[in-house]
Amino acid sequence: MATTFKNFLSNDLANTRTLLHEAIPITGSIVSGTYASSGNIKTYGHGMFTSVYDYPYLSSSANHIFDLSVGYASTSAISSSVTSQSDKKQNIYNQMAQYLVGYDQTGSIKKFTMPTDNSSMTDVIFVPFARLLTKDEIKKGSVTLEFGLSASFAEDGTAFDKRGQLIDYSGSNGYYVDSPAGEYGVLYGTSSTSASAHGGVFDGETLGDATTMPAVGLIYYQAGIAVISGSLFNDATDGGVLKDGLGTTELGTSFGATGFNAITASTIEDTNTALRTRIYNVSYNNTTELNSTIYFCRVGHNDFNYSSNPTYLSQSQIRVKTRASDTPVSYITTVGLYSADNELLAVAKLSEPLKKDPTNEITLRVRLDY
Amino acid sequence: MAFLDNSGDIILDAVLTDTGRMRLARGDGSFKIVKFALGDDEINYELYDKNNASGSAYYDLSIMQTPVLEAFTDNAASMKSKLISIPRNNLLFLPVLKLNEVYDASTKRHSTGYFLIAVDDATETYLEVNTSGVSIDGALMGETPGRGGNRIRVDQGLDTTQISPGRTLDPLLVETQYMVEMDNRLGSLVSHDDSNRASISFVDDDSIATYYLSRGTDTQYVNDITDSSNSAQQAISGPRGTRLVFKVQSSLELNTSDYLFDTIGTTDATIAGNVSPNATLKVISSTIRVTGVNTGYRIDIPVKFVKKA
Repeated sequence: MATTFKNFLSNDLANTRTLLHEAIPITGSIVSGTYASSGNIKTYGHGMFTSVYDYPYLSSSANHIFDLSVGYASTSAISSSVTSQSDKKQNIYNQMAQYLVGYDQTGSIKKFTMPTDNSSMTDVIFVPFARLLTKDEIKKGSVTLEFGLSASFAEDGTAFDKRGQLIDYSGSNGYYVDSPAGEYGVLYGTSSTSASAHGGVFDGETLGDATTMPAVGLIYYQAGIAVISGSLFNDATDGGVLKDGLGTTELGTSFGATGFNAITASTIEDTNTALRTRIYNVSYNNTTELNSTIYFCRVGHNDFNYSSNPTYLSQSQIRVKTRASDTPVSYITTVGLYSADNELLAVAKLSEPLKKDPTNEITLRVRLDY
Repeated sequence: MAFLDNSGDIILDAVLTDTGRMRLARGDGSFKIVKFALGDDEINYELYDKNNASGSAYYDLSIMQTPVLEAFTDNAASMKSKLISIPRNNLLFLPVLKLNEVYDASTKRHSTGYFLIAVDDATETYLEVNTSGVSIDGALMGETPGRGGNRIRVDQGLDTTQISPGRTLDPLLVETQYMVEMDNRLGSLVSHDDSNRASISFVDDDSIATYYLSRGTDTQYVNDITDSSNSAQQAISGPRGTRLVFKVQSSLELNTSDYLFDTIGTTDATIAGNVSPNATLKVISSTIRVTGVNTGYRIDIPVKFVKKA
């Protein structure tokens, strides 16, 4: 009997899982430069976080890149001196902590803890990256957040003269799994090339020696959230990670040289604005988990040598044959995948017609991604 | 030593059709791929030049240069012509499906080139006979399909004068199952004697209903063509296989509402040409697609659902 379908056998199917990575470079000029003042930054009436877009957010072309917020724990040394949005800053800290760190055996929310020395991170910056860019997760070992760490601040770019990077250099083989939100790695501080000329920006760092890099934050890969210690902006004397010679930074205009302690008197929104002016570049690779089913369409020598194409016949005679003994020929351009009731469920196309006749056999591998 | 030709194993990326996505979203297990078919929608075999003086390598040069379109996600727009597997390679003729309009007046199309389906009683009465009191060709009664004898008939076989109709069609080439697709919003399939409503196999996301009618089990629809003579009542000139005969019942929505007529229809004055008194008719043009499940050949039958305004 003539037939137009061929059933798949059990060995005609294979399942694969592929991880796709894309490089996501985010230039600081989107966050803090000219573009930022043209509507890329969205603020909210509640004032608990700020959203950064790659284009004026009122435009339908705008893509959400990341959010920015700050918070502190009730046990923080600065908690008694916070005068602005104290509750909201604690709420933010606790919300992120319960999601990313979880609860202890008594049901209390645990604090962010640096796994390298078990020290608590009580004053932190949160950078949740948009799902649009992180996709399924951030690729381990690919994160770089670069900040301008010059002590003084001016809106002329000099804040970026001395820069430091936060990198998860050990992420690919030194990550942690005790978070309820998935895997996370440590963000280590290292001086940027430009800062190296000044002898580096981080206290105790020996340039070129990864073991001397200070741990400054955490990156949660599946959640796509960076948690950065406020100590990034304080010098060693003020309890931070910067060299004393560099000095505690003035986060933004009129903030004073108080480093991250400036959040005591500033709103979350104002602090976010100051932090944005310190972001030089952000980059990471995202990951998309691609689950595929590969269908092996095995076309035997006696399969699919004729066509039901209306042009295939002229008064019922096959055009590509002159006599009955001629070899039938057909040309494949499309593969259709069907259900048992002959409903077309998926289609694959060839880039050019593929000749089929009884002298050849073809295996077309059709991949369907989910 | 040259490299081996490794072009025999090709990786293609497939896209889900809209129906595939719909079934996947349904989550009831109806999304299950169990078979494949190959298509050649872009190919024009008239370009096959078997008399090319440069030799056989040039016969299909134009065909091989045919640009191929990207995949359509509309399930109805892809795989319109499928490749066929037949265990014999020495066939010179393949069967076709052909509308039989010569059997008698009851199988003819209307002079407009369509089958007209009257969707309500008033329209049936209006289109029953012409000004001469004779049944109007191609006018099917959609509300009461048993009214009148007009029907749609599709014949299958080798439409060639080179082979006598007296010869038996190779059993490999006899179509034993037909797939009929039509817009489920407009009508449904009934047998020519109005004794049976065909069962719908499935309705896709575009409201296209699919019916499967088989020889042996759906005898009200599919039968062998037993006439092996050179009869003028036969549309197939050579050996004949089976025939499919059916009528169409209009949907309740068309019967009771003008919404679809006003949305996807128009008015047509040409139909009323030989009917008295001339009336304004609302019409929806559509097609009924008949495909041979085994032989792959298909035809589109033009129909108009008609309602007296």
